[in-house]
Amino acid sequence: MSRVRLSRWLLAIPMSLLALATIYPLLFTVNVAMKTRRDYILDRFSLTDTLRWDNISAAWNSVGMDRYFVNSLIVVTSSVLLLLLLGSMAGFALSQLRFRGSSALFLGCLAGLFVPFQVIMVPLARIMADTALIDTYPGLILVFVAQFLPFTVFLMTSYYKTIPREIIDAARIDGNSVYGVYRRIMLPLGTPALLSVGILNALFCWNDVLMSLVMMPSADHRTLMVGVTSLRGQYSDDIPTFASGVLIAAIPVLVVYLFLQRQIADGVAAGSTKG
Amino acid sequence: MPIGNAEPSVRPVPPGRADGAAAGSAGSRRGGGSRSVRGGSRAERFAPYVLVAPAILIIVVLRLYPLLLGVNFSFTGDGERNGQTVGFDNYLELIEDPLFRTALGNVGLLVLLLPVAVAIPGLLATFIYLRVPGHRFYRSVYFFPAVLSPVIVGAIFNLLLAFDGPVNVLFEAAGISPVDWLGNPDVAMFVVVGVHIWATFGMALVVFLAGFATLDAALLDAARVDGASLAQVIRHVIIPGLSRTIAFVAVTTMVGMLTSMFGLLYVMTSGGPEGSTYLPEYYIWIQQGQMNRPALASAASTVLFVIMLVVGLLQVKLLRRAGGED
Repeated sequence: MSRVRLSRWLLAIPMSLLALATIYPLLFTVNVAMKTRRDYILDRFSLTDTLRWDNISAAWNSVGMDRYFVNSLIVVTSSVLLLLLLGSMAGFALSQLRFRGSSALFLGCLAGLFVPFQVIMVPLARIMADTALIDTYPGLILVFVAQFLPFTVFLMTSYYKTIPREIIDAARIDGNSVYGVYRRIMLPLGTPALLSVGILNALFCWNDVLMSLVMMPSADHRTLMVGVTSLRGQYSDDIPTFASGVLIAAIPVLVVYLFLQRQIADGVAAGSTKG
Repeated sequence: MPIGNAEPSVRPVPPGRADGAAAGSAGSRRGGGSRSVRGGSRAERFAPYVLVAPAILIIVVLRLYPLLLGVNFSFTGDGERNGQTVGFDNYLELIEDPLFRTALGNVGLLVLLLPVAVAIPGLLATFIYLRVPGHRFYRSVYFFPAVLSPVIVGAIFNLLLAFDGPVNVLFEAAGISPVDWLGNPDVAMFVVVGVHIWATFGMALVVFLAGFATLDAALLDAARVDGASLAQVIRHVIIPGLSRTIAFVAVTTMVGMLTSMFGLLYVMTSGGPEGSTYLPEYYIWIQQGQMNRPALASAASTVLFVIMLVVGLLQVKLLRRAGGED
């Protein structure tokens, strides 16, 4: 027994080292973002002695990170709301309502899961250009929604399957239309799943770079992640400002992770076990 | 649930609810006569389709139709031959393009590294499941890089792995000659894949832990009472019990390596040095966006799609066979 316990403690050593390797790169970046250029050149590792925000505000103002931030916020918020609306509507119908062709429609939704953006990038860009949606907010929002909708429908369908049909029947007897049931019963009952799926989708959209790069070519419309990629060329000799820009883009995600870690992990786990 | 039985108009509508804010909810009941009930029932019959239609429409128009369009497009020409049917010319050009060959070679490398990318989170999940001291802490720390964008991860590692960066400073202090992590064609691809695994193993870890939750604990206890070693427990209890989870992680990890490394490549190497870090997705982007060769890019897209189908089917098949033996 004590041997088992000892071996567990021995395992904790490599696991702690790995934890350090996981977290250190980010701590390093935070530290660098607070340093002056001179300090960084003299010593890469020394801890910053003051919390200075000069670099952060320089990165925020001079490269247009503020505008990119707003662009990202608009696109991500709209995409997630739309995904949750359409995903829960379809999920409700596919899980609780009996109608002709429902399983074929469900399979149609699932088929979308197996078509990555890379594979349809060229024709999709062409469709967006033909409909004058390229380089507009609605264009990128539509592309995001199309990208993450199959997964959203899938998760909402499997979540709504767990809701007993009696609840819906009772609501119908009370005089609710199908839409009434959706609005008054399914939406409130779906809150945990909507929260999980919503956070995951928000992360996916916020973190995306390829779709944003292809669909939002002009500099004014850059999302934050595309903005970060443009930092590298501009600040290759000013590492602290570069690190600050990276930090600005990472902070919203860090905050979300600190508070909603559970929901994120639950969403990922649900996506795997329901399959 | 037949609609006719519901008779919504029977319920008295409280005064003041019939108009104003409640109009939306009262809409289907307004009038109360039998005509409106029947009209409502027709609307009700279409309701499921109305609910599903927007999602289906978006998925078909912006996912499935472009796939066909792209395959079709890959048999047409670029530039002067725009719109003309050129047969397999684009595919022949792909085979002869050294950059695309490198990209395919790198896909082979990813396949070879896949077992490592699956085994690391699998082992860590096993340790966490067996309650290594501090398992909760490890779980949340390991998962953390998985929520960061590849762009951010790439930028951070650009910083760490720069030739005059901190890693090489440490190397020098230890008396090791500095390595040009991202500038050496023999090293760069391994570095990028390593960073990708660093950034995503937490995702697979969470999936594994969800799989462990479905594992029969009695089986593990029995094995432990019988004095099985950790290696034996993994070999005879965990791997057979988790074959479905392992298959799922293998497929999603492979798909992840094929479709979500663009951000890293774009930020860390831009496909270089000497084109050594090309992957099909990066090749597609270059041909479409930079070289103005959309038809050639479509051919590469089709190849990528076929690769993903083959990889997916093959792995599911292999793992099903492996699971069947036990």
